[in-house]
Amino acid sequence: MTEKLVVIGAGMASGRMLENLFELAPDAFDVTLFNAEPRGNYNRIMLSPVLSGEKSYEEIVTHDAAWYERHGVTCRFGERVTAIDRERKVVIAPNGEVPYDKLVLGTGSSAFIIPCPGHDLPGVVAFRDLEDTTAMLEASGAPGSKAVVIGGGLLGLEAAAALRLRGMEVTVLHLAGHLMERQLDESAGYLLQKDLEKRGITVLTRASTKAIQGEGKVEKVVLEDGTVLEADIVVMAVGIRPAVSVAADAGLEMGRAVKVDAQMRTSDPAIFAVGECVEFEGNLFGLVAPLYDQAKVLAKTLTGEADSFTPKELSTKLKVTGCDLFSAGDFAEGEGREDIVFRDPARGIYKRLVIEGDKLVGAVMYGDTADSNWFFGLIKDGTDVEEMRETLIFGPAFQGGAAVDPMAAVAALPADAEICGCNGVCKGQIVAAIEGGASSLADIKASTKASASCGTCTGLVEQVMAVTLGDGFEIPAAQNVCGCTDLSHEDVRRLIKAKELKSQPAVWQELGWTTPNGCHVCRPAINFYLLADWPLDYQDDPQSRFVNERNHANIQKDGTYSVMPRMWGGMTDANELRAIADAADKYGAAVKVTGGQRIDLLGVKKEDLPGIWYDLNEAGMVSGHAYSKGLRTVKTCVGSDWCRFGTQDSTGLGIKLEKKLWGSWTPHKVKLAVSGCPRNCAEATCKDVGIICVDSGYQVGVGGAAGMDVKETERLVDVKTEEEAIEWTTAFIQLYRENAKYLDRPYKWVAKVGLDWVKETLADPAERTALNERFEISQSVYRKDPWADHARPEKAKSFQLVADLTQEAAE
Amino acid sequence: MSAMAAQLKVIPGGRSSPMQQKGDDIMDVAVNTPVKTFIQVAEIWVPEGETLVHGGGSYGELAAFEEASRRESFAKGEGLPGKAWAEARPVVLKGFDGSYFKRIEVATEAGLTSAVAVPVFAGKTLKAVLVVLCGDDENRTGAIEVWKEAEGLLMLDDGYYGAAKHFEWVSQHTHFPAGQGLPGGVWASETPILMRDLGSGYRFIRADSAGKAGLTTGLGVPIPVPGAAPYVLTLLSARGTPIARRFELWDARAAKVGKSGGAALVDGICAREGALWDPENAGKERRAEAWQGSIGKVLGSGLPVVESGKPGLAAGYGSMVALPLYHGTELSHIVAWYV
Repeated sequence: MTEKLVVIGAGMASGRMLENLFELAPDAFDVTLFNAEPRGNYNRIMLSPVLSGEKSYEEIVTHDAAWYERHGVTCRFGERVTAIDRERKVVIAPNGEVPYDKLVLGTGSSAFIIPCPGHDLPGVVAFRDLEDTTAMLEASGAPGSKAVVIGGGLLGLEAAAALRLRGMEVTVLHLAGHLMERQLDESAGYLLQKDLEKRGITVLTRASTKAIQGEGKVEKVVLEDGTVLEADIVVMAVGIRPAVSVAADAGLEMGRAVKVDAQMRTSDPAIFAVGECVEFEGNLFGLVAPLYDQAKVLAKTLTGEADSFTPKELSTKLKVTGCDLFSAGDFAEGEGREDIVFRDPARGIYKRLVIEGDKLVGAVMYGDTADSNWFFGLIKDGTDVEEMRETLIFGPAFQGGAAVDPMAAVAALPADAEICGCNGVCKGQIVAAIEGGASSLADIKASTKASASCGTCTGLVEQVMAVTLGDGFEIPAAQNVCGCTDLSHEDVRRLIKAKELKSQPAVWQELGWTTPNGCHVCRPAINFYLLADWPLDYQDDPQSRFVNERNHANIQKDGTYSVMPRMWGGMTDANELRAIADAADKYGAAVKVTGGQRIDLLGVKKEDLPGIWYDLNEAGMVSGHAYSKGLRTVKTCVGSDWCRFGTQDSTGLGIKLEKKLWGSWTPHKVKLAVSGCPRNCAEATCKDVGIICVDSGYQVGVGGAAGMDVKETERLVDVKTEEEAIEWTTAFIQLYRENAKYLDRPYKWVAKVGLDWVKETLADPAERTALNERFEISQSVYRKDPWADHARPEKAKSFQLVADLTQEAAE
Repeated sequence: MSAMAAQLKVIPGGRSSPMQQKGDDIMDVAVNTPVKTFIQVAEIWVPEGETLVHGGGSYGELAAFEEASRRESFAKGEGLPGKAWAEARPVVLKGFDGSYFKRIEVATEAGLTSAVAVPVFAGKTLKAVLVVLCGDDENRTGAIEVWKEAEGLLMLDDGYYGAAKHFEWVSQHTHFPAGQGLPGGVWASETPILMRDLGSGYRFIRADSAGKAGLTTGLGVPIPVPGAAPYVLTLLSARGTPIARRFELWDARAAKVGKSGGAALVDGICAREGALWDPENAGKERRAEAWQGSIGKVLGSGLPVVESGKPGLAAGYGSMVALPLYHGTELSHIVAWYV
């Protein structure tokens, strides 16, 4: 006997279920299909190429009228079901009721709309169906029209790329730090962003939407940070939520969606559900693969065959022409997990495999996805990869063979293989130069220009030399930054500037880091180089800092912290001292006068830090940065105001210098002193910069030390005026910031580059001015009190006692 | 809105699956009955030492022109193919009279009036020159365009439009930033792109004029040349005088298909077979292997292929042109069109 089957929703899941059902039992059911959209089943995931014009709607229709007719399906399209009467077993819709023996819910999901002001203005659209697509196409019609896409996930990016291809000016707003953060790690997210930016799409990460504004329609989007973006259309692609109101009203058992068992049965034995409206064992489903699995199981359940749905590993692909990415499994970092990373900066390739206990558990790939299905299979099947671990990243083609010898690969390169992309130098030219007598990398650089520009091919050039010269050439052991890279600090600094790398993922990818996201050694260094070179573009990353810098206080041996307020030039007054005394009382701190003429409060508990900072801020005091790789203190003597021997206002100059330089990050700590006469009471001759005032002006010395090493400063310059002394000091510090290796104090750096070079560079007035200007640009960002920032209640929370291991990355 | 609604309505009388049904009633590529085509001749010239020699072609009924061409060869800089080689750029030649074109007499007799030569470079090495020839005719509409980067924008270098004079004028006064429109999209992604329904409901940047000219399908390909930014070649096909009734776009990058070679049919549309791409988006595209079939011939030889009157061409078409696209020295894609 033919049963009455009613299906609510003609989406991809229910459509596949019907296909399976008609194959299993062509005549078992009399099917009525409701769909709120005025059309049948189409391949919804291909809407983005329809939007871009790379597909036509007709191509993505899965079931047309003839198909429904052939299978005897009664179509009730454009009719939204209003209720289910489970007692009478009928579905209620505007054009009349339909009785059922069995009912399938395939109501899918709807877009989540951020409930910000203006979200209901005309011109705010989701990207779920053909109507949305049509609305976007309409908006793209006017030349120069602008789109803002909120959400940098799969759907948002596909919409953005499509609208760009249609000719719109497109900006993508994404709340997280990198695109598609659920599917990609930072490195792959960086490459994706770069690819999209190449297409003229503007990507703003960490962008939070505050409001959408306009008179009667969308005109602009306002972000939390005050940025205003013009918009003719706003596409909300921040997520989906199951569309389950009919099911909930009918009293079916609900979680976040309609709860089903492994046979896709709801709490009512006559009602089944499939697709995005389903919750199974606490999981919701958004990608098509599990929906098709569910469809197969449900078709069998309906025909009385046994089958069970089991969620499987999922993989992700993005449908933007020219962007090849793949992501599967779990690639979060964790205990016992090992990463294998392959990068090819020149070709924009990044591959990362995550292995846990001899099994591949995750894979992220960008630019080369040829082996993605093979890797996905290894993840799904839980294959033991121990035997092929060494060559795993090279894919199936390398399995079963000998381990890859990079030297063999270089030896096998033909003579016309390009070695240095920057200068177009082939292997043959390098070999010819070697045969012509070149025996060192410097010789090769001089004669062929290979590796003379960006330097990323240096390793390859050295390998060519080793292959050609045999034992006659030993590849020099480079002083690399850390195990993540073969490049030296100097190379990294140079390349950050030359290649305009402005984020850590950009450095990792473009310089071929061998780890997914650096380590505790390189991250603080790279973080410093980036903020020093690109102060306006790069955002300081607290996770790449040592604990003292992150907490803006020095941790002591008992786990408490020391707090040291700034006293400009070592001057203080009664009010400040009272505030310090009160704070010491309130927080039970010990009080110590430091070698740098400051007062240190010792023994402050971590959770009290925001409180003590707030109190000291209230008294007008700011952080003394006693914990930072940055300007520490400027020590002064009392100078000509008080001292009988004083030649100049050393205290005044110290205060001016400290007020100019405070807050700036430097490769290592920087201590200054100004002495009012050659008697040198401020001990300026053992500081990083020490100024001795004399009758004729100021003697500026640099590169002193009084720690593990003791060293007298060397004279940088003698100047007549205070302004010149400040200009030279600032220029020196900026030169140090721009050139030194991270964790080299100025005396070490000066020893490496030579005082003569420093003097020569700074002797050029134009260069000094430029250095001073660049320092000021940087200070426009960093000359601010971190205490004031962290004493805000929302930041202060992070100082409460919560164990958060991920925060300890840079220890 | 009205244009869109008309465009996106479900057209009755469809198919059981996108891969199997005939697409005559749903595709705008071209009608399925024999019609005049926009391109009348396609031929390949391959370097042999210092000269370009004939490497195959499709001449339809223009036997005399074919015969003359097969006897021809070009030195570097000589004639149209030689110029494309010497200047390392696609060359559009409109009107042969008094030009450097070598076969003026036979071409004129055959009714051919314009030609476009496209050099195929693998890195610095010329692999071949593809020449297509067209005849002027009031009703012959289509576009073969060459776009070139200038000051960060793509500008029209030259183009042949047949009777689509207004569209020609619009194109001459249009530029594309990276990522915008068919040329800008190809340029930014360094990937061939096949666009549907250029002039109807869709907001193809030059849509209004394209619609009036009857242009429907657009194929854009990057044409890399040594020592300069890549050019972008676009073929815009009109319903009445199509450039092709089937377009195929194959991905042959090792990063896509693996190191063992071959190519995957990643996009395509056919008046007879409908959509040619994998509707499941599951990596189950049709594959071609080296030396198997016409696409395999391109994969194996690295050269363009022009074939006609040969049994076994896809969907029973009479002739086809397959053009390899290189990225550096690596064969990255193949585009093919059939009439």
